[in-house]
Amino acid sequence: MINVFVSDVFELAIKALLDRKMRSALTIVGIMIGAAIIVALIASSNGLSAGISASMGKIGANTLVVNSAMNFVTGGSQSQYKLSQDDVRILGAISGVTKVIPYYNKMVTITVGGTAIQGEIEGIDLTQLPELYKGIGLSDGAYPSQYDPTAAAIGSDIASPTGSTVQIGVNQMVSVTLSGGTGNLAFLVKGILVPYGRVLFSNIDDTIFIGMQAAQLLLKTPYYSGFYVLTATADDVASVQAAIESQYGSNVRVMNAGSIVSSVESVSSQMTVFLGAIGGVSLFVAAVGITNTMFVSVVERTREIGVLKALGYQSGQILSVFLSEAVVTGAIGGVLGTILGYFLSFLIGGIMPMGGGPMSSGASTEPVFTADLILFALLFPIAVAVLAGLYPARRASRMNAIVALKYE
Amino acid sequence: MGRPLADNNESPHSDGEGDSNLQPAPIMYSESRGDTKMNRVGVVSVEADQVTKVYSVGHVNYPALRGVSLKIERGELTSIIGPSGSGKSTLLNIIGALDRPTSGHVRIDGVDIRKLSDNQLAKIRNRKIGFIYQSFNLINRLTAVENVEMPLIARKIPRNLRRDGATKLLSAVGLAQKAHKRPTELSGGEQQRVAVARALVTKPAIVIADEPTGNLDSKTTRELLNYITEVNRTMGTTFVIVTHNPEVSERTHRVISIRDGMIEKEQRLQRIDSFAK
Repeated sequence: MINVFVSDVFELAIKALLDRKMRSALTIVGIMIGAAIIVALIASSNGLSAGISASMGKIGANTLVVNSAMNFVTGGSQSQYKLSQDDVRILGAISGVTKVIPYYNKMVTITVGGTAIQGEIEGIDLTQLPELYKGIGLSDGAYPSQYDPTAAAIGSDIASPTGSTVQIGVNQMVSVTLSGGTGNLAFLVKGILVPYGRVLFSNIDDTIFIGMQAAQLLLKTPYYSGFYVLTATADDVASVQAAIESQYGSNVRVMNAGSIVSSVESVSSQMTVFLGAIGGVSLFVAAVGITNTMFVSVVERTREIGVLKALGYQSGQILSVFLSEAVVTGAIGGVLGTILGYFLSFLIGGIMPMGGGPMSSGASTEPVFTADLILFALLFPIAVAVLAGLYPARRASRMNAIVALKYE
Repeated sequence: MGRPLADNNESPHSDGEGDSNLQPAPIMYSESRGDTKMNRVGVVSVEADQVTKVYSVGHVNYPALRGVSLKIERGELTSIIGPSGSGKSTLLNIIGALDRPTSGHVRIDGVDIRKLSDNQLAKIRNRKIGFIYQSFNLINRLTAVENVEMPLIARKIPRNLRRDGATKLLSAVGLAQKAHKRPTELSGGEQQRVAVARALVTKPAIVIADEPTGNLDSKTTRELLNYITEVNRTMGTTFVIVTHNPEVSERTHRVISIRDGMIEKEQRLQRIDSFAK
C-alpha cells in the first residue's frame, strides 16, 4: 500500500519538475557538476595511485635504489658524493645484500630517422635487466654485449615513436644528444624491448639501454649515477636500508619500492580526501540551490498545498510530495554527474599535479572507477538533495490549510 | 422559522465522544421535530451543536461564530447565505474539518472533530468531505482525470481503480470526452465540473461548496446547478453551498441565513428527495 503512494508521489514529482523545466534543469545542473567533480577527481586520483603502485610492483620488493644526494656546502655551491667501484664493495658487504648493480642514468634527446624524442639513457649490465625488471623481454634482436660500446637495446616507443611513421629495426642507428649538448653519440640497435611502461621514476619505453663502458664513454665520467641493491628477501630491505643510511649518512638517498608505494598511497589518499572535499563543496553549493528553488516552489504553490490539505493529504504525505521532487532532482543530477565525471576524469588525468613531467614518470593515470565510488556518486547527491529539500518541504507540510487556500 | 436548532434533546453528547473514532457512527433520528417538513426519518451527515469560534489576534478576540447549532441530513441540499464577515466561511471550514471549533461539538458522519489531531482531520476530509471552490482550485499541470484522482492518491487507491472511479465521475458531469485536457484548456464551467467530480470521487458524506458559481456566468451557473441537483438526487450526496446568488439558494432544499456569527433564520424550500434516505 505504501508503495502505491510512493510511486504516485514520484510521478507527481516528475510532473511538477517538468512543469518548470528551466528551473529544474538549472538545479539539476548544479547537482550534476558537484557529482561530476567528485567522480572525476576521485577516479583520477585512484588511477594515479593504482598506476604508481603498478609501476612499483614491476620492481621487486627486495630492491633498493641508492643515489648520491646533493650536499649543500657553505657558499651556496654544491658538491655531490661520488659513487664508485669502492661503493659496490661496501654495499655488497652489508649483511642481507645479494647483489649490487651500478648504473648510469641521464636525460637525453634521442634522434631516430629525423624525429627527436625526449628520453633517458641508462648504462647498466644488460644481463641484469630481467632480474631487475620483472617480465621485461625483447621483441626483436638480442641484448648487446656488455663490452660493445656502440650497441644499444631500445625501448618500444623509441623503435616506433608515437605520432611518427618512423620504425627502427635491429641493426639500424639511433643518435643520442646529452641535455645541454655536451655529448653526442650514435648507437647501433641490437635489441628492441617489449612495451613495458613505467618503473620507479623512469619510462622503460623511452629509454635506451647501453653497456657500462658505452655509458662511461658518453657521459665522460667514471662515477655511477646510482646502484640497484638487491636483498635476499623483502624482509631484509629495512635492515639493509638502515645499514646503508648509517654508513653513508646524508651522502646518499636510499629508496625502496615498498616505501615509495606506501608514501605515494598516503599522498594519494590525502589527495582523494582533498579532491573529494572540493566536490563536496560544489555539492553544498548545489544544495543551497535546491533549497532556494524549493522555497520559491513552495511559496508559488501555496494554494496547491492548501488544496492538497483540503483533499485530505496528511502533513507527512505533503512532505513526501515535496521531498520526492528533491529526490528526483538529486537522482537525475547524480546519474548525469556520474556520466559527466566519467568523461571528465580522462581529461583530468593529464593535468593532475603528478600526471606529467619527470616526477610522475612512473604512473599511468588511467582513472579507476570502483563500485564504491559509483555508488557514492549516485547516492550522495540524493542524500544532499533530501537534506536541502527537508526544510522547504517541512514548511509546505505545516502550512495552515485555510490560510493556504486564501493565498493569491 | 428562525428557531435555533440547538434544542435537540434526543442525544446529549459528552465531551470527547467520538475522539479518534474515524468510523462512521450515524445517529438515527426519529420524528421529534415540530416542523412537519423535518418530520422524516433521516441520517444526519453533519451536526453542529453550540459551535463557537474565536480568533485571537494579539490580545484581541474576534468571535466569528457565537453558538451555531444545525443539522444537515444525508441527501440534503443546503445553502448558507449571509453578508461578508457573517461567519459563514468559518462555519464552512469547521463543517469541512479544516478547522476546529473553539467550543461546542461538530459531528461529521458521527465523528466529533473537536479533539482530533491534524492528521485525523485530514483523514476525515479525505473520506467524508468533498470541497468545491469559487476559483476551482484545480492543479493546472495535471489533466482533468488526474485532478479527479488526487484525493484517491492520498488514500493509496491503486492506479486502475482510481482511474475507473475518476472516469466514471467525469462522465457523470458530462466531461468524459475531456478527461485528458488540462484545466487551462477547459472553460470555467467545465473546470468547475471537474472540481465537482473531484469532490465526489471519494463518495463523501458531504460536499462543501464555497461560492461554486461565483466565477461563472448565469448560463453556466444553471448548468452547474443542474449537475449538482442531479448528483444530489441520483447519488444522494449531501451538499452545503455557501452562496450570494439567490438563483443558487432557490434551488436548494433549505436556506440558512447567517449574520454576526449566528443563525439568523432558516427556510425550508423543498422536501429532501426520498432517494436520499
